[in-house]
Amino acid sequence: MATGATNFYDLYRHGSLGSSLTDALDELIGDERIDPQLAMKVLTQFDRIIAETLQEKIKARLTFKGSLDTYRFCDEVWTFLIRNVTFKLDNGGQTVQADKVKIVSCSAKRAEDK
Amino acid sequence: MSNNAVGPVYDAVIQEVINAVRVDFEENGIDDRVLEDLKTSWQHKLSQLKVAQFPWEPKPEPPQPAAAANNGPPAPQAAPPQAAAGYTSLTLSPQVSAQALSLPGALLPNSNGMGMGMGMGMGMGMKPERGFVQADPIIKQEPGLQGAHPYSPANTARGTAAQRAAQALESQYGQRAAASINAIHSGMQAQQQAQQQAQHGQRPGQAPPHLSPQQQYRQGVAASIQQRLQQVPQGGSSNGLPTSQVDGSSDSALPAVMDRVAIDNHLHAQIAARARQMEGGGLMLPLKDISSLPSLPGPRQKVDGTAPFDGPDDDDNEEEDEDAINSDLDDPDDDRDDDDDDDDANNMMLCMYDKVQRVKNKWKCVLKDGVLTVNGKEYVFHKATGEYEW
Repeated sequence: MATGATNFYDLYRHGSLGSSLTDALDELIGDERIDPQLAMKVLTQFDRIIAETLQEKIKARLTFKGSLDTYRFCDEVWTFLIRNVTFKLDNGGQTVQADKVKIVSCSAKRAEDK
Repeated sequence: MSNNAVGPVYDAVIQEVINAVRVDFEENGIDDRVLEDLKTSWQHKLSQLKVAQFPWEPKPEPPQPAAAANNGPPAPQAAPPQAAAGYTSLTLSPQVSAQALSLPGALLPNSNGMGMGMGMGMGMGMKPERGFVQADPIIKQEPGLQGAHPYSPANTARGTAAQRAAQALESQYGQRAAASINAIHSGMQAQQQAQQQAQHGQRPGQAPPHLSPQQQYRQGVAASIQQRLQQVPQGGSSNGLPTSQVDGSSDSALPAVMDRVAIDNHLHAQIAARARQMEGGGLMLPLKDISSLPSLPGPRQKVDGTAPFDGPDDDDNEEEDEDAINSDLDDPDDDRDDDDDDDDANNMMLCMYDKVQRVKNKWKCVLKDGVLTVNGKEYVFHKATGEYEW
């Protein structure tokens, strides 16, 4: 909290963890059990915690290859649409294939600068 | 990295977030139980996503807007019946107005005591008239009557009403009444026929039981109405279309209580019949009616009146037009593009980038701190490198 919760991207809210949290909060707001402001606080906390968790607790690596279909760079956010992707997971050499993957990526530097 | 690592990591995140916001909840005076509910709900939703084995990440958010949108429409959807009701009464009103409007004053005192036969349906059906039939005096009595018995008692009341009307006419005016009745009949039959045609056309199933008695009553009562019009011209009702104020004055001048009772009952019966017509044989929810009526502005009802489907058609057309104008240019394409992206690209990676390099058509990027969803499974990674060609 004291680290300035607003300095983290809200990017991860779009993941399964974030969206399920958003849903749960929306339900509580709909039932008028909490204020929207409080829900926003929860989400900013979530932004911070998931960013820190991914940064500090995860050691996994992966590599992927594919053909780039679309790329976009706007407001320091890269968006790639990659087709025929093969992900290689470093643990056990597991591979995962996908026809299409959308990558939304924010600048790591900017996050650190903040 | 494997899918198995995701569970504990997410659980840790949930735990941490819950703990971090506990203070905020306390500051806001929110019970701790709510926080626990939030956690449970969050976990539940998350596990649902997992169980489904589908990457529902982008989708869980739409349900809220969709639910909100679903809540919205009911009001507009409730409108068409109203509009239709407005139409029927509007088309009928010119024909009935001579009867209905000439005696609101008579109706006022009696409707309290005698009009208990008025049912909910009648009250409901009458309200739409308020805007344009100028039957305010009648309607204003309705709120008190809405809680009264359903429609059926009106049938018995109507029988006595007809008898009383006939008796009153005979006892008071004797032969003169017959003459006036005949005179009236010629004038009123056109109205009745037109009205009956309208009723036949618009009241499919329910018409038969009510039509024949109504016919009779109408004749009998029409006579008394006309007589009153003739005998109380001082009241200002000489033109046959008095305003409600005039009706007030004629109220005091009404000679016979029996007449009033009879006419009152007759009008109630008529209104009940029309109410049924307006309902189209269906049931109108009282709450909906009450809540939607204030929100239903006069304009809509006034605009209608040419065709029974005006209300719905108008709405549809407006909506279609709006959609056509806006969406033809923008929405469909955008939506489709987005949908294509989202639906086909359920696979999504959310991450930070360290480096994105390109040499000719070869791209190389270094990503970190990411969440990857592929084929319904989720992965987390600290670092990822990707190479792809454009």
